[in-house]
Amino acid sequence: MNYFLKNRKFRWRREETLEQMYVLGVQSIPIIVVSLAFIGLMMILELAFHMRLVLKHDSLVPAFSAVLMVRELGPVITCLLLTSRIGAGIAAEIGSMKVTEQLDALKLLSIDPFDYLVIPRWIGSVFAALSLTMISIAVALGGGALLAAQKLGTSSGEYFNTVFFFVKFPDVLRCLIKAFVFGTIIPFIASYQGFSCELGSAAVGEAATQAVVRASLSIIIADFLLTYLFYAI
Amino acid sequence: MENSRKWVKSFGGMILLFLQCLSLTFKGKTRWKEVIEQIFQVGVRSLGMTITAGLFVGAIMALQIDIQLKDFGAESFLGGLSTSTTLRNVGPVLIAFLLSGKVGAYTSAELGTMEVTEQLNAIKLLGADPIEYIILPRIWAVVISSFLLLIVGLMVTIFGGVMFAEVIGVNALSYVENIPRIVTEWSIVLSVVKSFVFGVLIAVISCYKGYSARGGSVGVGAAVQSCAVTNLMFIILFDFLLSMTASVFQDLFGVGYL
Repeated sequence: MNYFLKNRKFRWRREETLEQMYVLGVQSIPIIVVSLAFIGLMMILELAFHMRLVLKHDSLVPAFSAVLMVRELGPVITCLLLTSRIGAGIAAEIGSMKVTEQLDALKLLSIDPFDYLVIPRWIGSVFAALSLTMISIAVALGGGALLAAQKLGTSSGEYFNTVFFFVKFPDVLRCLIKAFVFGTIIPFIASYQGFSCELGSAAVGEAATQAVVRASLSIIIADFLLTYLFYAI
Repeated sequence: MENSRKWVKSFGGMILLFLQCLSLTFKGKTRWKEVIEQIFQVGVRSLGMTITAGLFVGAIMALQIDIQLKDFGAESFLGGLSTSTTLRNVGPVLIAFLLSGKVGAYTSAELGTMEVTEQLNAIKLLGADPIEYIILPRIWAVVISSFLLLIVGLMVTIFGGVMFAEVIGVNALSYVENIPRIVTEWSIVLSVVKSFVFGVLIAVISCYKGYSARGGSVGVGAAVQSCAVTNLMFIILFDFLLSMTASVFQDLFGVGYL
């Protein structure tokens, strides 16, 4: 821990940051888009079932699913997917750098590994979390509109009207704050696991596993705390 | 192009591995003693995490549904609606996400390390089948323990919802009384089926990814990463497919409604 708390000066590394933005953000787009499209469809299906049970009609299904999507499932599921994609990747990368003594080589070149490896990943991951959350909510709402037209007979104009009536701007803002927090959690936990990885190929796998588990659990807990903070107090 | 070819190849490999394991099981080659040992290794280690995740997922859903129902003026349905939503889709998906990190990534890391350090080749040299000796017990252990952990996690979500309802000022008794009004036996059947399917998915995908790891410590890390991602995507895909099937059943036969 001492290693991370030492006083250090930060440098803006343009090359590495742009590369991490590409690796962590752009390359995750296909996975996130496909998964969140299915989540959007599923929310419409399930909420149609529930609303028929509760209210006996399904005019509120689009609004309810969109609000749940924007406030809760959009950021959480996007960032859990990101965790397993980039969290395991960061931990495995830094862990195998440590195992193959590349970190020592960096120190020999008097390059600070924290500055060189973690800060670009942090910026890239926050960038990825923010933009992918927006993309994923858009995709999920689009998928929802398609299925709502099929299953509930809601025209897409009607669908987006209700959605924009119930989803307010503060919701989107809070959703982005959540995404920022989750995007910060992932690289720090993952790179901590990578840096504290022991030698050997078993340890690299262990570090990647621990990174995914701890980061996802922290995301769930942080989501609970943030929701409580935003909406209940 | 290269990517999609690799993807199709690994998808076929998973199906072949699953079929091979099924046929070995029907031939009675499963060594159940090993399976129980693995269940202890994989399952008991993950129990604490599953319970924590379940508590928080239940609390999040209770809080969120409460806020939303207030917007629509239907607070009286809180207990039933939040429990039903959690049991039917959000709970299985979120807990399976965490389990695919814990159980799945652990299994693929272990198998990947065995493959990379040539332990599986050593077993082949001894004239034994690594699929029968190493992979088959692990697959069954992961299926059984993920299934049981998911069920435990879902039960804990109900408890988390009740507990948190009391915190935000909803009477716990009325919350619990509301649950059977909306949660039908078919919802519980759906969530049990989902848990079982997710267990099979996690087991097959993580065993395959670990078994096909190549190339030193970098390979193990890559195996863990691709195992986690593939697990999550298949969980979401199958969640949708199962929900779709349930909805078709509801529409055709009217099962699921009160």
